[in-house]
Amino acid sequence: MLKFFYNRQSSGWEYGTRYSAEETTADVLIFGASRAQQQYIPTYIEDSLHLSCYNVGRDGTPFFYHYAVLQAVLKRYTPKMIILDCEYAALKKTTSSYERLSPLLPLYSNHPEMQPVIQLRSPFEKYKFISHIYPYNSMLFKIGVANLESNKIKQQDIKGYVAMKGSLHEPLKTIDHTVKYELDSIKVNMLDSFIEQCRQRNIDLYFVCPPYYMNTIGTDYSFAVTKQKAAEKKIDFIDYSKDSMFLRSPQLFDDTVHVNFTGSKIFSAMIAGELKKRIKK
Amino acid sequence: MIFNSIEFILFFVITLAVHYLLPSRFRWIWALAASTFFYAYAQPAYVPIPAGIALIPYFAGIQLENTGSEKKRQQFFIISTIVIVGILVFFKYSNFFTNTITELVNIIRQKALHSTNTVTNNLLINIAAPLGISYITFQAIGYLIEIKRGNHTAEKHLGHFITYLFFFPKIIAGPVERAHHFLPQLKEPKPFNYDYFTDGAKQLLWGLFKKIVIADRMAIYVNAVYNNYEHHSGITLLVASIFYVLQIYTDFSGYTDMALGIAKMFGFELMPNFNRPLLAKSVTEFWRRWHMSLSTWFADYFYNPIAIEKRNWGTWAVIYASFVTFTVLGFWHGANWTFIVFGFLQGLILSIEIFTRKQRKKLRKKIPQWLNDSTGILFTFGYFGFSSIFFRANSVGDALNIIKKILAFKGPLFTDSTSMLLFLLLAAFYLAAYEFKKEFFDNRFTLSANKYWLIRNGYYCMLIVIILATAVFDGGEFIYFQF
Repeated sequence: MLKFFYNRQSSGWEYGTRYSAEETTADVLIFGASRAQQQYIPTYIEDSLHLSCYNVGRDGTPFFYHYAVLQAVLKRYTPKMIILDCEYAALKKTTSSYERLSPLLPLYSNHPEMQPVIQLRSPFEKYKFISHIYPYNSMLFKIGVANLESNKIKQQDIKGYVAMKGSLHEPLKTIDHTVKYELDSIKVNMLDSFIEQCRQRNIDLYFVCPPYYMNTIGTDYSFAVTKQKAAEKKIDFIDYSKDSMFLRSPQLFDDTVHVNFTGSKIFSAMIAGELKKRIKK
Repeated sequence: MIFNSIEFILFFVITLAVHYLLPSRFRWIWALAASTFFYAYAQPAYVPIPAGIALIPYFAGIQLENTGSEKKRQQFFIISTIVIVGILVFFKYSNFFTNTITELVNIIRQKALHSTNTVTNNLLINIAAPLGISYITFQAIGYLIEIKRGNHTAEKHLGHFITYLFFFPKIIAGPVERAHHFLPQLKEPKPFNYDYFTDGAKQLLWGLFKKIVIADRMAIYVNAVYNNYEHHSGITLLVASIFYVLQIYTDFSGYTDMALGIAKMFGFELMPNFNRPLLAKSVTEFWRRWHMSLSTWFADYFYNPIAIEKRNWGTWAVIYASFVTFTVLGFWHGANWTFIVFGFLQGLILSIEIFTRKQRKKLRKKIPQWLNDSTGILFTFGYFGFSSIFFRANSVGDALNIIKKILAFKGPLFTDSTSMLLFLLLAAFYLAAYEFKKEFFDNRFTLSANKYWLIRNGYYCMLIVIILATAVFDGGEFIYFQF
């Protein structure tokens, strides 16, 4: 029953995850966590590049999630372009990263290509699927609400993009990024594999870092590693993290790491224009 | 290896199967081996510490019993107690004491010498305290006191004695088991008892339910709010503080139910720890229902001796004993001023309750019973919730800021999603329904002990389905593991 209603969803985040893995055939896909989901408006990219676009980003997800979704996508078709959102500490080793793969659990049984990633959650993960309720753990109400027609009107997204409505009113803070932290070797290897798979399928891969509302001392370690890999593999790294216009405009942010709807519109127009220029080259 | 992990399930099933395959007289060896493995799984290098602590009361107990001279008995007792408590203090409190002294030195230097140079604490110990050290210490001291008082004889079997202290369901977070209650159970032949076994399994399941369906669900909200309290409104902080009371209760009582259930499945009975404390009608009653194995330990070995020694002070003796006991009890929770304030607040309210006992009794006669009871329950819950703000906050300053914000009672309520809110309300509803039913209608509307097989087992199947569908499987450790 849970499976039936999960598959019947027509709105909400669980729907977004399933749609990303099983249905989208967009030319351009945007991968990432909350900074992807809440900052890139696909319609701006569609208008600029004349290609279909879908934002497969999802709030609170680690790099493993993006990698698993890529496996599901590549099994079905080859997109023309992928934008991978880059954020600070994306490759940092944390136990919570593994726990945050839970949105993928309902897809486990139908997607063998995702299974090795989902099994990273724990050595006993595959045995938990003996229960057919487990994959839908903690999704009961989400699935219920997402089956309501009224939720479609209330929970609107724009091709995967979810707008943030707040506005920041605080002075610029300075964050120290000089301290190195432990990188998660699995995440680093997955990033390499992500790049390699895109290269093999001739997908235009772009690394993009949207604006932050913070000054930084030094460079975040994950950021530095990703930048280095981009340079080595000749991937365009488009960096707006210290964009001066955004740094002067707290009103364009919902919080220090996410732009709001107005900020998203400006940023999406900027990145769409930038991508158009780079494609022409 | 926490009780709600797959690793533990594997360990538990194997341990239980072997336990019942062995003849009764060898089972203590298996229990000790399994308990040592359980402990070593978390902190392999630390096993010698509790093992070393266990040897002190064992030998001291025998010496106490064999020594005729009262003076020598007293000396043995004091020395062994100091050594046991010293080990606890070293691991748990040395950083707190050295930090406090360093801060005091710096304040004095700044005030008296007008020096801006500060002294740094070079005596910091960068090791975690061994798991369960407090519980082992309490049990060891309680055992020695009982022998010194002549209430019990010393245990001569070293293996049995270490098994008593190490028994894995209780080694990490209690209950603070009494030797005279547990040790005889090790010596009795224990054939498999189906009813006892299934009772244990049911208690284990209910404990698991409380931990992963209620406590860990509450923890998501409470942690999100308390870890960023500056960004949350007074109303949100109030709601998080209420949820924290439910979280800490279900977390700890869930752990206890699991410990008691596991022990029962092995054929052992451990002391109960909770008796629906959130429905207590006064704070005095609350502490008779909350963490009972520890509060009775403190009553027997701390509070009563103080109150008896100062009995010529009259009521003040009880008040003095309450303050000292609860401040120490607060400090036991951790080397932080927040816990000391928490304990002090308990001592304060207990003193007020002692002073106002007669007036409250008179007042009770004038108002209806239901009003008196519900006011008492609400006040006790509210006061415990208020003092728990200190328990949960990272510092006394943070706690005061949180209270200030709550009193302002302004701002929106933080709800991450409708789904989260519904899960929280559902979890609170489960708990309230269960506790009210147990408290006021214990023998009525019973599902778990219903005479019909279908209803009884249907209820447990429903619990399992709810666990699978709504539990938080990525939740953290039990709160009381840190103490």
